[in-house]
Amino acid sequence: MQGAFTLRAGERGYSKLASTGPTSSYVAGHPNAAITRHSSFNFNDYQSGRAGFGRVRVFGDEVFSGSGCGYNMHAHHDFVICAFVLDGQLTHINTVGNIDQLSRNDYYVFSAGSGGKHSELNLRGEDMNAIYIWFLPQQLYLPPSYHRSHFDAQAGRNRLVTLVGDAAGALPIPQDVRVSRFVADAPVAQTYRLISPRHGVYAFVIDGAVKFDGTSLGRRDSAAVWGVDSVAYEAAGDADVLFVETVM
Amino acid sequence: MTSEPYKIWICLGCGFLYDERLGCPEEGIAPGTRWADVPDTWCCFDCGTPKARFEMVEIPYAPHQPEASQAARPGF
Repeated sequence: MQGAFTLRAGERGYSKLASTGPTSSYVAGHPNAAITRHSSFNFNDYQSGRAGFGRVRVFGDEVFSGSGCGYNMHAHHDFVICAFVLDGQLTHINTVGNIDQLSRNDYYVFSAGSGGKHSELNLRGEDMNAIYIWFLPQQLYLPPSYHRSHFDAQAGRNRLVTLVGDAAGALPIPQDVRVSRFVADAPVAQTYRLISPRHGVYAFVIDGAVKFDGTSLGRRDSAAVWGVDSVAYEAAGDADVLFVETVM
Repeated sequence: MTSEPYKIWICLGCGFLYDERLGCPEEGIAPGTRWADVPDTWCCFDCGTPKARFEMVEIPYAPHQPEASQAARPGF
């Protein structure tokens, strides 16, 4: 079945989690650290919009502000959690056995599977901004895993680069999904071809502006289309877009 | 007795599974307890997310699961 929606930046859910008070055990950092989170889909109490999109359950645009800010070690099962660092430095620690530091354009895929814990921290003074995406897996209680990589924005400019999913050079993920990034610094018009009409694609504008399926999107606006073979998108100039394709 | 297949519910806060077949013995919920019979006040064993924010999923277990995970959790 065919469908589409547009979600403007200001229509997203918003929450702020402080390192003091009721969330002090969950949120790291001291004394005045805080996580701000803009959610495209259902994330805890946010539910004025969509519960999810295909296999996506969370799409959070998060900023960790203040020294040591982040999430303390906490448990997960089954969700496949991806982080795409846009600014600052993220320290990721997990019970698969990784201590990783990710900078701008680094990203990871952490599959919690049969159970794992992780901590996400900003150990620096400047803000850390990352996009967090959670996918449901294809199978429950898979062996936990962690993979990381880097998006080369200069080499990859003005074309679509697949970061996660079934594509050469992309990180593996135990789900029928793909995450791609499109960074433009010149006028570009392209066609996004979906894996099948049973899939849908969600486009999130990190920066700049694009026209996606005929709709003009600005910074942090987003839109989705499903039940089609392909979608046209174009940039008039500077643009930075994350595409999340998922079986519906 | 009902012939309705057991269902699995996932916590949207952390991914914890409530499998009706297994229940949650750590919290006194016996194997075979249907989701509808779990108290509305029950919260996720791992992260405290309320029952209302679980989603029913129809996803198969990976090979050797959930038995392997149960064996790793004495009393589960």
